Amino acid sequence: MQNSLAQRRQGLGWSQQQLADELGVSRQTIISIEKGRYDPSLPVAFRLAAVFECAIEELFTPESS
Amino acid sequence: MENSTMKRSRWGRSRFGGSSAVLVSVSLGIGAAISAAAGALFVTLSDSERPILAFALMVTLTLPTAAALGWALLVDRATLIGAADKPEDSIESTWYDKAASGAFGDILLVGGLGAGGFALTWIEGPLTWALSGLVLFAMLDFAARYQWLKKAAA
Repeated sequence: MQNSLAQRRQGLGWSQQQLADELGVSRQTIISIEKGRYDPSLPVAFRLAAVFECAIEELFTPESS
Repeated sequence: MENSTMKRSRWGRSRFGGSSAVLVSVSLGIGAAISAAAGALFVTLSDSERPILAFALMVTLTLPTAAALGWALLVDRATLIGAADKPEDSIESTWYDKAASGAFGDILLVGGLGAGGFALTWIEGPLTWALSGLVLFAMLDFAARYQWLKKAAA
């Protein structure tokens, strides 16, 4: 799953640790999501969308598209 | 976000309140009680020639693990530095589940093949050794799988 997490996070001027603390997950989780090596659970995806004030489908796009 | 504003420390604080020092002290006390009980049980069951030495060795060897167990039972995770508020949503939880699942399959395979091998070859050995070996294999297998998943994600 591709995502625009890193760009949006950097746009807010946040570190990976800050975003991890905001979501209540580990920093490694943020690193893996940004690299596209880990697809987050639906609750985390919703929390990410709330943090970046966008829809989930704006954050994540399937590899095929 | 109450947890993020709560003061955190390396050793955390107890679920029942108090400072880190109190938590560590109580954990050591619980550990000492468990170790003393284990030592007394060992001396009683083993019928050792040097009961005091056996008791002291047993207490010394089990105290760190017993104290750590007491600390793990008492500590409030939200007061630990670096502890995620929702560990079940973190990637480490996924690694744990995958490693445990894989290790379980390996235990069934190794246990089954081992039991079959022993039955067919009529080899007999102490059951304690066989079970200890299987437990050791399970722990090493889980650790190796977890580390491999961690390295793959890095």
